Amino acid sequence: MNSNNSNNGKNSSFDSLSQDFGLYFLELARIGSSKAPVEMDEDEEVVPNELNTINSSAGFLVVAPDKLSVKYTAVSLHGHDVGVVQANYPVPVKRLVYYFEIYVKDAGAKGQIAIGFTCEGFKMRRQPGWEVNSCGYHGDDGLLYRGQGKGEAFGPTYTTGDTVGGGINFASQEFFFTKNGAIVGTAIKEKEMNRCLFPTIAVHSQNEEVCVNFGQKKFAFDLKEYEAQERLKQQMTIEKIPLPPNISYGLVRAYLLHYGYEDTLNSFDLASKSTIPPICIAQENGFDDQDIMYALNQRKTVRQLIRNGEIDAAMNKLRDWYPQIVQDDKSAACFLLHCQKFVELIRVGALEEAVKHGRIELAKFLGLPEENLFDALVMDCVALLAYECPQESCFGYLLKESRRDVVADTINAMILSTNPKMKDVQGCLQSYLERLLRQLTACCLERRLANGGQGEAFQLHRLLN
Amino acid sequence: MGTSKKVITREEWEKRLSDVKIRKEDMNKLVMNFLVTEGYVEAAEKFRMESGTEPDIDLATITDRMAVKKAVQCGNVEDAIEKVNDLNPEILDTNPQLFFHLQQQRLIELIRNGKIEEALEFAQEELAPRGEENQSFLEELERTVSLLAFEDVSNCPVGELLDISQRLKTASEVNAAILTSQSHEKDPKLPSLLKMLVWAQNQLDEKVTYPRINDLSNATLEDPVHLQSHQQNSIQKERQWAVRLCYGPHQTNLLQPLAHLSLLSNFTQM
Repeated sequence: MNSNNSNNGKNSSFDSLSQDFGLYFLELARIGSSKAPVEMDEDEEVVPNELNTINSSAGFLVVAPDKLSVKYTAVSLHGHDVGVVQANYPVPVKRLVYYFEIYVKDAGAKGQIAIGFTCEGFKMRRQPGWEVNSCGYHGDDGLLYRGQGKGEAFGPTYTTGDTVGGGINFASQEFFFTKNGAIVGTAIKEKEMNRCLFPTIAVHSQNEEVCVNFGQKKFAFDLKEYEAQERLKQQMTIEKIPLPPNISYGLVRAYLLHYGYEDTLNSFDLASKSTIPPICIAQENGFDDQDIMYALNQRKTVRQLIRNGEIDAAMNKLRDWYPQIVQDDKSAACFLLHCQKFVELIRVGALEEAVKHGRIELAKFLGLPEENLFDALVMDCVALLAYECPQESCFGYLLKESRRDVVADTINAMILSTNPKMKDVQGCLQSYLERLLRQLTACCLERRLANGGQGEAFQLHRLLN
Repeated sequence: MGTSKKVITREEWEKRLSDVKIRKEDMNKLVMNFLVTEGYVEAAEKFRMESGTEPDIDLATITDRMAVKKAVQCGNVEDAIEKVNDLNPEILDTNPQLFFHLQQQRLIELIRNGKIEEALEFAQEELAPRGEENQSFLEELERTVSLLAFEDVSNCPVGELLDISQRLKTASEVNAAILTSQSHEKDPKLPSLLKMLVWAQNQLDEKVTYPRINDLSNATLEDPVHLQSHQQNSIQKERQWAVRLCYGPHQTNLLQPLAHLSLLSNFTQM
């Protein structure tokens, strides 16, 4: 119910904007909080961690209780009594490399051990590589078998005491195998093998015993270095790409302008003018900061107040400068500000005042129809009251400094939206830098999809941490 | 071959863009990394205060590094060498090529200032021994000394050595060496990401038609040419979005345009 009737149209438009902005930033904030859903990580897949005892060739072998080692118990008579075990989960593909290792505890009578990859439904009495859709590096002859009956010369043989590893490089679409920490060879992974593959080990002569390591222990092979080298290869191709001059400077500058980091911007401008040669960004690169220079000082002031937890002061400034933002008490902007005020009161231990404030300002948001995101936030805020050390509770995320930033960013966007020259809504919400990063992520994801869903995609968070 | 490429409409693509999760803290880190690597100490300080982002390197070391860089850029190579050694004597010890380039720059400055005798002495005592150890150093040395042979240095084949770009090159080299010695990457991450974007789009172009960003400086999405018929649909959707913004979720009629949302004024012209 709008209190101001004369400007009905204008207010409700602003409220919708405010609502959308509020929701937008709240959603964003969920990523950083501990309450974010686990599947936020695009590349989250199950990872093999032990041997599969259900479909292994029982009768020929015994898997230890820890499901990490296997022993051949029979006496092998022919080629169809191999003891084969797969891992409990298939190879995860949304990564650069997958790798696992075996340690040959005992090569038994004939050392007919194999490590490799097999498909779902593999004939579990045959060595990996002896059937289609499988590949295996065999210890007794050092050959690589790829479903073609005959093996090909590949690497050295291996026996008791050796650590042998098998891996898949999704960037180069190759299998690779290692012995005692060094790569012995690679083989192309044909497209037909692009189905679910399981890490597989096999034993075939009396008393052979093999342990497997799915990453729980340190590998003999330096996997991290291998991955780093792969990434470097790609990086070197990318580095050759030319960029327009001073584009980074321009984007950083636009970022500072967008969020209202005025002091930084001034220092930045000063510094770029005194570099040798001086950097001139402005109009020539198509940067039109008419739109985002708007209200720079005011945005900076309000942001600083919010970041210092001085919510009342921030609201007073807004009442002076942009009353339309805080006019409607039920708007998302007001909601976020009031919630933050509540949290700030809890932070300093003023619990009585917090409760009073909550009753006056927050209670009205409970039970509103579309606002279930707001509902959840109110409940979390109120829950803080229950703890002696709210910081350490599961709602402690509300007390993080980054939450103040969420409110500050929302208000920043609201102020930007009052600019008559603002061309589109997105301009208020996302800096150019952010748009570019989103495009980069989306392109990499789509590219991976187009390549059979395998390989590493870009993730800013992973790159920076 | 003739396999037609997959087409992603603007609407679909924008949905994917909005599904991407980018944290503000990470963007701040990227910006801080840029300020720090470029050596903008004050800006980094201010950014730390205004955004609460911690720099990934001790800001005090930046001032020292910038002083060295500046000294080289202004031609005060002796001063720069002294400063580098104050900062970390191992840098020049473990970096013979850098040290040679600095000495070479010193020689260039002596020649530039007309101190011919001093230049020759310096070349013989300091640079010639290095040249004996290393073939490429020797070649560089010969090039530099040949400056002395020309009356009109601005027109000689090695004239570029006197150009400011040579100073900048050397300054950059020193800057990178200092950063590396501090276990910091010598290049900011942001330009690499931009290159990655260009690369990723080029790669994706082979298989998919989708909205591209062709102008990095304003990050605008451009509809691929094929989608002109789809454009009409997306414009319709944008009108509805605009109306919803102005009049709440249940209104669907376009009433009078509001002055401060100029995006509407674009549509009333259609």
